[in-house]
Amino acid sequence: MVSLLRNQKVRNALLQVLYVGSLAAMVLACVMIARRNLAAQGITSGFDFLFKSTGWDVNFSLLPATANDPYWWYFLIGIINTLFLGSTGLLMATVVGTIVGLARTSSNELARLLGRTYVDIFRNIPLILQVFFWYAVITHLPTPRAAHQGLGMLLTSRGLYVPVPNVGNLAMVATAVALIAAVVLPVWLGRTARLSRPVGERLGIQVAGAAAALVCAAIILAVGRLPDLPLVDFPALQGLNLRGGLRIPPEFSALAIAIAIYGGSYIAEIVRGGFKSVGKGQMEAAQSLGLSPWRIFTLVRLPLALRAMLPILANQYVWLMKATTMGIAVGFTDFFMIVALTINHSGQTLEAIGILMAGFLAINLSLAAVFNRINRAIALKGNQLRG
Amino acid sequence: MIAGNSTKSGGPAVRLENLDKYYGTFRALRNVNLSVERGEKIVVCGPSGSGKSTMIRCINRLEQHNGGRITVLGAELNDDVGNIDGIRREVGMVFQHFNLFPHMTVLENCMLAPMIVRKQPRAEAEVRARRYLEKVRIPEQAMKFPGQLSGGQQQRVAIARALCMQPQIMLFDEPTSALDPEMISEVLDVMVTLASEGMTMICVTHEMGFARRVADRVVFMDAGEIVEEAPPEEFFSASRNERTQRFLSQVLGH
Repeated sequence: MVSLLRNQKVRNALLQVLYVGSLAAMVLACVMIARRNLAAQGITSGFDFLFKSTGWDVNFSLLPATANDPYWWYFLIGIINTLFLGSTGLLMATVVGTIVGLARTSSNELARLLGRTYVDIFRNIPLILQVFFWYAVITHLPTPRAAHQGLGMLLTSRGLYVPVPNVGNLAMVATAVALIAAVVLPVWLGRTARLSRPVGERLGIQVAGAAAALVCAAIILAVGRLPDLPLVDFPALQGLNLRGGLRIPPEFSALAIAIAIYGGSYIAEIVRGGFKSVGKGQMEAAQSLGLSPWRIFTLVRLPLALRAMLPILANQYVWLMKATTMGIAVGFTDFFMIVALTINHSGQTLEAIGILMAGFLAINLSLAAVFNRINRAIALKGNQLRG
Repeated sequence: MIAGNSTKSGGPAVRLENLDKYYGTFRALRNVNLSVERGEKIVVCGPSGSGKSTMIRCINRLEQHNGGRITVLGAELNDDVGNIDGIRREVGMVFQHFNLFPHMTVLENCMLAPMIVRKQPRAEAEVRARRYLEKVRIPEQAMKFPGQLSGGQQQRVAIARALCMQPQIMLFDEPTSALDPEMISEVLDVMVTLASEGMTMICVTHEMGFARRVADRVVFMDAGEIVEEAPPEEFFSASRNERTQRFLSQVLGH
């Protein structure tokens, strides 16, 4: 018996059993205590509330929403709002971060100084302060009657009004897919044709791909347009208010700008680190082969820098996605705020928080999974220690 | 053979006249004069920090010289981008640390520049790449990535990559210094073959055996100057220069 306890495998197995057992006991205890307390307060647990109507409104939704809609529909609206805010914020943060990061690695001293100042300022101010700052700026924009105008858009203290096409919902989604394809297709075609065709021919294929996708988008718009309405619905002043178009509320703009600027300062450092990590030797080899600076950048420097950047970038994206929960600070109905309102109105705290956590886990784990796939696909093969 | 009109035939392959190079206030090259004929093999040696690498890196403008003239295949190397590109097309370089592109296969490494710089069609570039990989004796590694090869194999790929551009001059910057002893000879063998085929070569190396076998002239540098320039038999046995003798006794002494 004693000798059996001295066996390493037996010991490890025993420890595992002990660990899992105590964990299960703890969870069980928590559940039982929660059930008893809830019963004592007369709260029925369960997910029936999901099918009751909410009785309150949301201030921004990409889907039709009324106070009669059930909770599950509101959760869906919240998730879509979070994804909309997150993807807008991440996209803008990436653009800002790339520009600032490249400025920081530039050979131009002024560009480097500007980049460093940017990072020093915006990385060191808490995100919530930046959200409040941009919210204050946007809500102090002119009233609808004195709106800033440009490109058919109206910028006012009540939000940004953008023109939208007058088409059915299905056609709208199809158009969005076609437009995304117009961006993705050339990249994909360029990848598959890389090194297999001369440069000019490859560019032709890419342009053809993008054009085909754009033509598809135009056809979908023409077919799906609503009868008896102009193709594009421009926002316009009517009385004291604005009619038409899509209103992007100040809350959304403030959050998106804050995430873009704050996240951009972190992404800039990731971009800078990525480019710094590319060995001088590879660039010298490319130069000695007579490749032009642009070719060296696109074929050697960028691909190698991207490989160094992606894992850290994925981490940053997951972080910024969670930062969308700042919505509650200025009253943007993201997933977190909808859950908070649900708890207030229905009292189903545990269930709502469970749904919130599951939702964020699903969003961020999918994001991480996509990045892991890309990472594995482009990882450098073999041992890289040899320069 | 010569692409573009920036380089023309006739005259020496490389001519350095009164070359000066500063890093800040440090003078890396002092008044260097060297003329390399077509088909000639030059071995450059000298203690570390003597300016050997700086000198050959000036020849394809990886370093900018601060004074004097560099003429490569009849074209002067100055700020004219056309000249720089033209010269880089005709001058291949092999580095101490190989500097292969780790995200491309061996074959892609060899095909990249010919396809983009020389505008060769893919099929032609691939045939040529495979031929040179055969020449450096690693045709079977074509589809592998640099990180999957040994140091000696990587350096031979680097030589093949440079040769695929069909350069008229090859520069070697300490090509065997980062290699394990047993891999040095496989790289040197390739270089000896290349030399026997009449390639113009300038090699910075400490492989004195290679210098004896291959070099037409040995150039000895110290403190940024060319101290001595002599055929190998004279350099190794009859040098009367005190600095050369000290260097040789350190390199050959053990």
